Amino acid sequence: MVIHDIVVIGAGLAGMRAAIEAARAGLNVALVSKVHPVRSHSVAAQGGINAALKEDDSWEAHAFDTVKGSDYLADQDAVEILCKEAPENILELERMGAVFSRDERGRIAQRPFGALSYPRTCYAADRTGHTLVHVLYEQILRAGIWIYEEWMVVSLVVEDGICRGVICLNLATGRLHRLHSKAVILATGGYGRVFKHTTNALINTGDGMALALQAGARLMDMEFVQFHPTTLRRTGILITEGARGEGGYLLNREGERFMKRYAPEMMELASRDVVSRAEQTEIDEGRGVDGCVLLDIRHLGEKKINERLSQIRQLAIDFEGIDPVHDPIPVRPGAHYSMGGIEVDVWGETGIEGLYAAGECACVSVHGANRLGGNSLLETIVFGRRAGRRAAEYASSTELKPFPDVFLKEAAHEIALILNRDDGERASTIRHELSSTMNGCVGVFREEKGLKEALDRVRELRERYRKVCIDDKGDVFNTDLQNALELKNILLLAEAICLGALERRESRGAHYRKDYPKRDDENWLKHSLFCLKDGEIRIDYKDVTITRFPPKERRY
Amino acid sequence: MRIKVKIKRCDPTGRGGCEPYLQAYDVDVKEGMTILETLMWIKENLDGTLSFRRSCRSAICGSCALVVNGTPKLACKTQILREYEGAREVVLSPLSNFRVIKDLVVDLSPLWDKIGRIEPWLQPGSEPPEGGWIITKDEVERIDRESRCILCGICNSGCNSQEVDPEFIGPSAAAKVYRFVGDVREDGKRRRLERVSGPHGIWDCSRCVMCNEYCPKRVEPMTSIEKLRVEAIREGLVDNAGARHVEALVDSVNRVGRLDEAVYTFRSLGFLRSIGMIPLGIRLELHGKMPLPHIFPAIEGIEEVRELIRAVEEEE
Ligand SMILES: Cc1cc2nc3c(=O)[nH]c(=O)nc-3n(C[C@H](O)[C@H](O)[C@H](O)COP(=O)(O)OP(=O)(O)OC[C@H]3O[C@@H](n4cnc5c(N)ncnc54)[C@H](O)[C@@H]3O)c2cc1C
Ligand code: FES
Repeated sequence: MVIHDIVVIGAGLAGMRAAIEAARAGLNVALVSKVHPVRSHSVAAQGGINAALKEDDSWEAHAFDTVKGSDYLADQDAVEILCKEAPENILELERMGAVFSRDERGRIAQRPFGALSYPRTCYAADRTGHTLVHVLYEQILRAGIWIYEEWMVVSLVVEDGICRGVICLNLATGRLHRLHSKAVILATGGYGRVFKHTTNALINTGDGMALALQAGARLMDMEFVQFHPTTLRRTGILITEGARGEGGYLLNREGERFMKRYAPEMMELASRDVVSRAEQTEIDEGRGVDGCVLLDIRHLGEKKINERLSQIRQLAIDFEGIDPVHDPIPVRPGAHYSMGGIEVDVWGETGIEGLYAAGECACVSVHGANRLGGNSLLETIVFGRRAGRRAAEYASSTELKPFPDVFLKEAAHEIALILNRDDGERASTIRHELSSTMNGCVGVFREEKGLKEALDRVRELRERYRKVCIDDKGDVFNTDLQNALELKNILLLAEAICLGALERRESRGAHYRKDYPKRDDENWLKHSLFCLKDGEIRIDYKDVTITRFPPKERRY
Repeated sequence: MRIKVKIKRCDPTGRGGCEPYLQAYDVDVKEGMTILETLMWIKENLDGTLSFRRSCRSAICGSCALVVNGTPKLACKTQILREYEGAREVVLSPLSNFRVIKDLVVDLSPLWDKIGRIEPWLQPGSEPPEGGWIITKDEVERIDRESRCILCGICNSGCNSQEVDPEFIGPSAAAKVYRFVGDVREDGKRRRLERVSGPHGIWDCSRCVMCNEYCPKRVEPMTSIEKLRVEAIREGLVDNAGARHVEALVDSVNRVGRLDEAVYTFRSLGFLRSIGMIPLGIRLELHGKMPLPHIFPAIEGIEEVRELIRAVEEEE
């Protein structure tokens, strides 16, 4: 058994930022990730990261935009922290080595983004995530932080309400290992792969959320799933909001900029939930093109496209066969971001002693019912750092608790069951049924009937999963086994999403109920909470923290 | 269209031990389908034991590099029909120049080690002013290509120098060095250049251009290596065979307007190591590869050549 002070699970931006912070406190920190750090999903973020840097902008304005964007479900104390700490965090990223794109005077350039009242989004061309992931990875190497690369965490070791470490599967050897630590930080990212049409990486299966729920932590606001308005038709690959930020239009089959009917002021740059619903309405009412609407950036001209959106151009050429310099890109809404996640406070504390969470797997909540573009990268950095700091404080002032043996045995048993089963259902069959169901019934528009169907189907699939069977019986790089273990996680989360969506009888942010089309502050200005009792998911609610911005009607 | 996709496989724990074998799968492929989608389809429908890496499926995470019909590529960015059309077959194998772990999964640790060894982090000389550094667009542009690297290993797989010398710094780590050397904020420039001027460094690149050809993100590592060489010479780091080679070349052209192989060798390698080259010289001679005369007179119009060299030097 290996011992560390702190084990960070996940090497995306949140995990790496947390690890760097904890290592600064002089502790022995290890980073565990099921892929090499630079393969983490954060690397795909394109558009940018928000911060009120300029004299005529303010953190208060940023906070207001965020709260309004969240449809007033965000906790305003957390939003204040996010926005106040943003500028310093951006500057620190530059000190670490990041280079953001510049304006004419050589200062950090900022572009307009959806639902922002000020051009506040810092960016590194259209590969902001890539820049930041590589910079943080460099800092991880510099700090000499140990990386368990291609190790998948399969369970959290929690006994008597205290987290003592994790059990991991080393993918290269197939061996299970115990990592014993004083504190564990979860930074495992989102669960986009619950859905069929998604912008998310293939590895985004929400593992950390599922592990935390099983270990006794609570999840929050799981029904809020962001659908991004501009994803490629066939693959779901993202076309950044930056394309509209730079001036791109959305057109229907008649060539009309239809957003003027839905958001006359902000047009294409209204908040994402609003734009996605508008697109889906156009498509559903027969004004789409082949199940899509068109994103037109031709008028920006080749030079600007190459300078600011070169990756987008290449993606459209490679994956859709369309050169946006000459033709509009067909796009449609796709599952993009998990607003919900592990319930944490502003220091990443989960309620289980020694267990912290940050990034997309956590729910602080700074995004409420709808996240603003550019706020998620910011969240990973700001709250990754805070979780790292708090975990370090805790680990410095506590003793290592004993590591019970049974967790390793249980994990080994579970894996052996899957490996030894010779007939049963393929994991891929179950996964396809699940993701199609979720796309069909728990998408941009929802209603009771579909949600009930989806919930029943998910429960049935969870039952069927008990007989899941895989081809690969080997030890070395058994991705078949990995996929089956991930499937278990997305099934559990799908159930929470369906339950939350079914129960929430109102429309708020990204959660839109056709049968309850209005926001209902009287009954529903509250977070939903999910916990596991005797194998069943139970729902509960808690109040939203409101400090400076009382709920108002939301218009763009 | 139904095609056969052949995959070079190897399973260290399964039958045949590590002995690689080719396995063919019949796949219905559609226009637009990528190699990665093909692999996923095979894994889900035909054979779950097939192992390969993947994550972003949008050419930014660097997971899915492999060799397609002899050329290293990203599986997620490569359309299978285009590959099939040219060669009438599709053969997929793991990246070369790396040890295979299983099927298409290779051990990239030599790549990570090389990246780690170059101290891949910015070492600024001073703290930025309040509000951050002022950096011009041109200065950002200078390291733009190198900043695009996704560390997929494709360039290392195609690299001829790495094939003969596994210790060679390799194109990706060299590009990363330039990413810092070219950064206006960097203070450790000279030290970095000193390090890569040594054995297994930038002068060991044979300039075969494969890395530039294959790089899926157009980083052009060989161009980075050339930029490093220029910077190194500017810094006066000329006490090595590579830099002397370049100087001898310029000198030779300046003197006689062409390459004077013999003098060139002496200048690059120094007296003692040049003596070691004599057997090679004799063999070259016997094969008619060293045409007479061995001592060249200056070419016609040498003044023009010298004028050109002067002009370039002045411009610099
Ligand atoms: C295409 C795309 C573009 C985006 N663009 C933007 C943008 O421009 N601006 C913005 O603000 N936001 C953007 N987002 C959102 C943002 O990128 C993500 O929310 C954020 O990067 C999440 O970071 P993270 O560190 O929480 O998780 P991730 O980057 O997803 O990292 C998760 C880590 O956890 C590891 N992991 C997961 N499960 C396990 C396990 N069981 N065992 C071990 N390790 C595990 C993974 O290996 C990985 O290292 C975008 C999202 C997408 C999909
Ligand atoms: S899967 Fe990420 S580069 Fe191909």
